[in-house]
Amino acid sequence: MSTYDDPETQLPTTEDGDVDEDAIADLLGDHVLDRETHGNAEAYVVRADAVQDVLSTLKDDAGFDHLSCVSAQEYDDRFESIYHLKQYEDPTNEVSVVVPTPRDEPVSETAEPVFRTADWHEREAYDLVGVQYDGHPNLERILLPDTWQGHPLGKDYNKDKPQIVTFEENKNPLEDHARGGEDSDTMFLNIGPHHPATHGVLHVETVLDGEQVADVNPDIGYLHRCEEQMAEKGTYRYQIMPYPDRWDYGPGGIINEWAYARTAEDLADIDVPEYAQVIRTMSAEMCRIACHLLATGTFCLDIYGDFTAIFMYAMRDREIVQNLLEDLTGQRMMFNYLRLGGVVWDIPEPREEYFEKCRDFLDDLPEKLDEYHDLISENEILQSRTVDTGHLDPEIAKNYGATGPVARGSGIDYDLRRDDPYGYYDELDWDVITEDGCDNYARLLVRMREIEESARIIEQCVDLLEDWPEDDREIQSNVPRTLKPDEGAETYRAVEGAKGELGIYIRSDGTEKPARFKIRSPAFSNLSALQEMSTGEYVPDLVATLGSLDVILGEVDR
Amino acid sequence: MATPTPLPDTIQRIIGIDGFGGELLSMFLAAFLVGNIMLAMTGVAGPWAKRKITAAFTDRIAVNRVGPFGLLIIVADAVRLLSKELIVPEGADRPAFDLAPIVLAGSAMLAFAVIPMGNGIQLADPETGLVFVFAIASIASLGLLMGGYASNNKYSLMGGLRAVAQNIAYEIPLVVTAASVVLFTGSLQLSEIVAIQQNTTLANVAGIRIPAWFAFVNPFAFVLFVVANLAEVGRNPFDTPEAPTEIVGGYQTEYSSVYFVLFYLGEFLHIFLGGAIIATLFLGGPAGPFLPGFVWFVIKIWAVFLFTQWCRSAVPRVRIDQLIEIGWKGMLVLSFANLVLTAAILGVTGL
Repeated sequence: MSTYDDPETQLPTTEDGDVDEDAIADLLGDHVLDRETHGNAEAYVVRADAVQDVLSTLKDDAGFDHLSCVSAQEYDDRFESIYHLKQYEDPTNEVSVVVPTPRDEPVSETAEPVFRTADWHEREAYDLVGVQYDGHPNLERILLPDTWQGHPLGKDYNKDKPQIVTFEENKNPLEDHARGGEDSDTMFLNIGPHHPATHGVLHVETVLDGEQVADVNPDIGYLHRCEEQMAEKGTYRYQIMPYPDRWDYGPGGIINEWAYARTAEDLADIDVPEYAQVIRTMSAEMCRIACHLLATGTFCLDIYGDFTAIFMYAMRDREIVQNLLEDLTGQRMMFNYLRLGGVVWDIPEPREEYFEKCRDFLDDLPEKLDEYHDLISENEILQSRTVDTGHLDPEIAKNYGATGPVARGSGIDYDLRRDDPYGYYDELDWDVITEDGCDNYARLLVRMREIEESARIIEQCVDLLEDWPEDDREIQSNVPRTLKPDEGAETYRAVEGAKGELGIYIRSDGTEKPARFKIRSPAFSNLSALQEMSTGEYVPDLVATLGSLDVILGEVDR
Repeated sequence: MATPTPLPDTIQRIIGIDGFGGELLSMFLAAFLVGNIMLAMTGVAGPWAKRKITAAFTDRIAVNRVGPFGLLIIVADAVRLLSKELIVPEGADRPAFDLAPIVLAGSAMLAFAVIPMGNGIQLADPETGLVFVFAIASIASLGLLMGGYASNNKYSLMGGLRAVAQNIAYEIPLVVTAASVVLFTGSLQLSEIVAIQQNTTLANVAGIRIPAWFAFVNPFAFVLFVVANLAEVGRNPFDTPEAPTEIVGGYQTEYSSVYFVLFYLGEFLHIFLGGAIIATLFLGGPAGPFLPGFVWFVIKIWAVFLFTQWCRSAVPRVRIDQLIEIGWKGMLVLSFANLVLTAAILGVTGL
């Protein structure tokens, strides 16, 4: 039964630390209309006007302080918003809150006052699916242009109707954006979408007071490629796997593929051979190193200003990782290496040579990291630029659903590889890195130290793979050619991406294609905290903060 | 050493035409010669060398396909830059927008007129040479502000304002530090400053005479001057006026084609001018053993250029408020302390 002995937390958990589903139902009381069982957690169906009540009860009384994702979808008879809640303390404790709304009046109460992160997630749900959120502070389109007609993931959407917008209508979409009054001393400045420091096509609407930032509003969607819709048009078995490579092209391709693989394997109950799990773990950590090297290099680029030594050094070392990944997968960025139930092929022959290359890289890495530390983290000017800038309080970080190095740089000890183990991570010896600085410098240090930890993981994987008995090298389990998960099965699973928690929600309708495929991008949530971090700072710090968030716009916009 | 005859007089003697006409012609020829020497260094060799140097610092290869060592890339670059479309933004403040690049490049070129480059290459040698150099060089701020303001672009405006704030903050330490050199020489005439450095002996080490170059006499002032000069020419860690990752390109955001070339050239000229001033004030100008003076002078300028490129590759940029703080609270105080201390020591020892 539930343990209400501890007066401080009062988590409705069973004695072994799992969620006590009945206790939560009791806690929510009359608000619960119905209960469903999702693959990842128990789901409570609640009334559309009780969202804030339910979520704040779960947040305050049950410890569900992490709104990981909001998935909206349209059924034949209703709209549904699902709030996927987790605990930063233990992300295996999950609940889902399902909010159905009628099709003719899809209005549901906003969750924004309880979780700030719901702001962007609900905007996306409104934009793509068409659910209205009552009381939302700014219910505008987020990924599509303001002039877009219809909601593309809704059932009534007419794909064949051309989206014609006259020039007059869209001449200056920013014309009546917040500029302050006529006599205001502030200056409105568009940073991006084409700007050297926006890491792709991000548009940051800033209001400047002299050199200081009075307000920031990231405007995303310039790289929206309908990834969710494309995944919904593909078959589980073969056609979806190439897409994840295009989300975080840092290149975190294999980690992204793993997010899909984990969710689909959970949905269709597929086992993965241990040998394949080790290969997955190794290759995913290679991707993480490549991503963190890129993040370190570009962050320094934002601070140094030119294509300087540290950027090129990071690129040079990332190249070695990419060569390793190319040998393994045949591709440098768009790997398409994982398969449901395993990986596509084994370590390239001759194996010894490949392992030798990996070892060479790992042996050289400490020396290179020392050089990085000499160049950047120990440099006084860099410290004066990054220490105490872009401050992100842990509580604010949680409120915005920040994960990954951004959360760990604020001292939040949260890493799905350890807390919600998958792959081979729980068999290996490595540490989760946290820094308490909460600033740009802390985030830089977290990334640099995580490279070391990833190297430790790869080393152990290489050892394991080298000694693996030859007759036991099963790279894929037996998966049917046509995969049809049970009708109505739905699940939300996440892996620890290079940027943070990369989650995927899939609902099956019994066919070989998913009925709903929703991607929870870590960079999306992290970026939403930018305003909180950079208001009141100088423009250079805004740029540095953006760099320290390490957003990949392909992942933000999907 | 006697003051060397300025270049126009030498040329007039060689061509042998007397009177006003001859004077005019020889002055023109001399200016043409000096101008071309500087352009050859900054406009032709500079960008190529910059690529090679930066590549060496950042572990790359740089140009190596066109011509030996990629040297012919200079020609390709020139054609490329000059054949690009000249885009003038709507609402640009026309005369100012056009004049800015010329002011920037012209101010640096003009200052070279009084620099003694060795082997008698010096256009004029006024008694107030040092003042002339600083006066002319600081006109560049005007060019930057004109460009930034006239471009009708917010990034340009911010860049222009940053450039002016920075130049004012660092001009004072620069001039005050130079004044501490003048305390030694008692003269503002550049040829005189060079001559005094070279002719005074600091020490004799193992039979080799070490001249009293002011970099040796007062290393503190030398360091101050070099740092202030980095800020003057806008190179890391003080490249805030351009700051590509923050304000795109600062004052030069809207400039393209020939105007961009002029801006680019102006920046290079200013780096080389900074090198020339440092060489003249602190490194004995064209003096040096074995090689001709002019060669030494060029080597010293390039050494300073190399140093700026090194900083550019390795040192992070400071924030604009930190930059102003360093300027007003750090450099200014240190430079005045240097001046007062130098004066006191000179007064007490009676050198």
